[in-house]
Amino acid sequence: MLEWLAQAENAKSLGLVIFFVTFCAIVLWVYGSKKRGERLEQHKNIPFLDDEDESKDKFHG
Amino acid sequence: MAATSNPATEQYNFDIVKKFAVMTLVWGVVGMFVGVYIASELAWPFLNFDSPYFSFGRFRPVHTSGVIFGFGGSALFATSYYVVQRTCQTRLFAPGLATFTFWGWQAVIVLAALSYVMGYSQGREYAEMEWPIDLLILFVWVAYMAVFIGTLMKRKQPHIYVANWFYLAFILATALLHVFNNIAIPVGLFTLKSYSLFSGPQDAMTQWWYGHNAVGFFLTAAFLGMMYYFVPKHAGRPVYSYRLSIVHFWALSFMYMWVGTHHLHWTAIPDWTSTLAATFSIMLLLPSWGGMINGIMTLSGAWDKLRTDPVMRFMIVALSFYGMSTFEGPLMSLKDVNALSHYTDWTVGHVHSGALGWVAMISFGSLYHMIPRLWNTQIYSVRLVNLHFWLATIGVLLYITAMWISGIMQGLMWRAFDDFGNLQYSFVESVAAMHPYYAMRAIGGMFFLSGMVLMAYNCAMTIRQGQRAAQAAPAVALASA
Amino acid sequence: MFKFKHENLETNAGILLVATMLAISIGGLVEIAPLFMIDSTMEKVDGVRPYTPLEQRGRDIYIREGCYTCHSQMIRPFRDEQLRYGHYSLASESKYDHPFQWGSKRTGPDLARVGGKYSNEWHVQHLIKPTSVVPESVMPNYPWLLTTPLNYADIGDRMRALRITGVPYSANAEEYQRNVAQFGEAVAKTLHIPDAQKNLVAQAQEGNYDGDRTNVTEMDALVAYLQVLGTMVDFRQYKPEDLVKYR
Repeated sequence: MLEWLAQAENAKSLGLVIFFVTFCAIVLWVYGSKKRGERLEQHKNIPFLDDEDESKDKFHG
Repeated sequence: MAATSNPATEQYNFDIVKKFAVMTLVWGVVGMFVGVYIASELAWPFLNFDSPYFSFGRFRPVHTSGVIFGFGGSALFATSYYVVQRTCQTRLFAPGLATFTFWGWQAVIVLAALSYVMGYSQGREYAEMEWPIDLLILFVWVAYMAVFIGTLMKRKQPHIYVANWFYLAFILATALLHVFNNIAIPVGLFTLKSYSLFSGPQDAMTQWWYGHNAVGFFLTAAFLGMMYYFVPKHAGRPVYSYRLSIVHFWALSFMYMWVGTHHLHWTAIPDWTSTLAATFSIMLLLPSWGGMINGIMTLSGAWDKLRTDPVMRFMIVALSFYGMSTFEGPLMSLKDVNALSHYTDWTVGHVHSGALGWVAMISFGSLYHMIPRLWNTQIYSVRLVNLHFWLATIGVLLYITAMWISGIMQGLMWRAFDDFGNLQYSFVESVAAMHPYYAMRAIGGMFFLSGMVLMAYNCAMTIRQGQRAAQAAPAVALASA
Repeated sequence: MFKFKHENLETNAGILLVATMLAISIGGLVEIAPLFMIDSTMEKVDGVRPYTPLEQRGRDIYIREGCYTCHSQMIRPFRDEQLRYGHYSLASESKYDHPFQWGSKRTGPDLARVGGKYSNEWHVQHLIKPTSVVPESVMPNYPWLLTTPLNYADIGDRMRALRITGVPYSANAEEYQRNVAQFGEAVAKTLHIPDAQKNLVAQAQEGNYDGDRTNVTEMDALVAYLQVLGTMVDFRQYKPEDLVKYR
């Protein structure tokens, strides 16, 4: 096993495995729970939270 | 004054954003002008004027540094300082350091351009700056990192908005790439000349690890950060899926670093590094398209605005070009396609469909959104924005079409055999065949450049209008009080 | 207003920073680190030697003028490239190249094996005005190379800097002897830093690259460099299958 890991040519398979596991973990974490999903989706409103300030800007028009 | 100036400009440090926004326009005009000039040199070589200072070889890095680091870099500084403040709802950390990043970065661009023209170059693409300039970049970058991360730390908003993740990845990756790619031994303390520490294949690997990830993080991740703020903000709708943007972020950050070697297919490096890079390049299509779909779906509820709002058009075309060039990229990383496309103009066309179509277009859109807000006014002329949009779009299309034809033609001519098994064309026949396409490319560039000049004019007038209104405002306020 | 459950990753800038750093480091490490275990990636061939002082100065000019923006120095293992340019490039052929100049674009032809293909006179003529020998060329003229005297006062500094990067230029008698053992006496002499200026002038006069023996110009250096490109390895000594396993 260790010998196989030490061979540079095997980097592709190893890389794919590392990537695939990480990717699945992230997808599961993001889409796994409905509650977490709802909470995450709330964050998309952040750019609009300082809009109040901007509407006041229009005072100068 | 305090009673009348608007809360946004008081709440946030917009001074530094304004400075960088103006320099984005300046470097855009300068860098693209040099680009058109060197494109014209290839079509009409007399433009080299037998002068060392204007010859293509020395001028080309002036163009690449001018547009990537001057135009693109300033746009990223401007928008990242703007976005991080607005989404963290806090003022910029360490304003003194931020001012240093401005002057330091402008000095880098000017010094780099002068040093290339004087004949000082590290001879490695997109990293031609010699060691003292590299050191200055390093200082500026550390300051930038401190300002950005410091602002994230003192934010009033508990969650860090995803645009900032992309900016953060860009800042970290650029630091990493810059340091490792520029390790060099200076010839002396009082000369600019240095030799890279690595040689041959190691140097090639390090350089293209840098070169590709400069594209990946400087020209892609960072501009995605821009996209994730300005597209929703301008459309007036939140991003289509926040969860998709998270997956997009991690997949992109993880995968980009693997693929640099696809610039070295069929060269003297071990085969496995090539195949590995090609595999990850293909997979990179997924997060890239995930991001594109996320952006386009965000705009999808506002199609009606597309007819009336040219800024929106810039954004949607930018996303389309992002999708197109992230499809073309993996295609070109296939070893068999690369055998044809490598060393030809196809690569140049691909870079420009990303750089003009995606990077520049999304920057134009964002700047048209941001500049009126910074100076608290309206854009001077929407019609000029519209004209800019068409000039830019036609320019990119001319450019990449010319490069597709010339690139594929070069590749085919080089490998063509006659009936007796001899090479069918001499090299110079392929050079001669390129002339019409090089002329066409230069003309495409001129279209794009004239759009850029219009934009600079339009923004200058907008700023003047904003400044006049601000001067008039105290009087109005006094009168109404 | 909003009730955030403080998940670590998205609310802690430090953790986000570390995780991002991890994500962006892995790829680079896997791709590049193995290449620094140099033995497994480079074939062993005879003949590759560091550049002489004059050739190295020529190489500096090649980089200064940005020749790599239009010319590659990397022949790929295809039949058409073999016919047009010669044997495909080996990794070890650029092992003394700081920096590498493989290039990425062929607006002009590949130069990895241009050495010996044309006469010195041709190169001089071509560099002064390329269209005078190749009418369709779009290459700029480089007339100043012939009129600019080569500055070789700092050649010792340049070689010392290269020595730090690992190029076996000799600074003392012991290193010189090692070079004699590795490259033979004739080559070892040209690699000796204390004699660099003398060697440089001698090679320029003997080679007469720019057609004028009375002074050393930048043209001398650049042509000397172009004429050595790709000529160091004698491919008659090797069977293709010995080399191909390194690709």
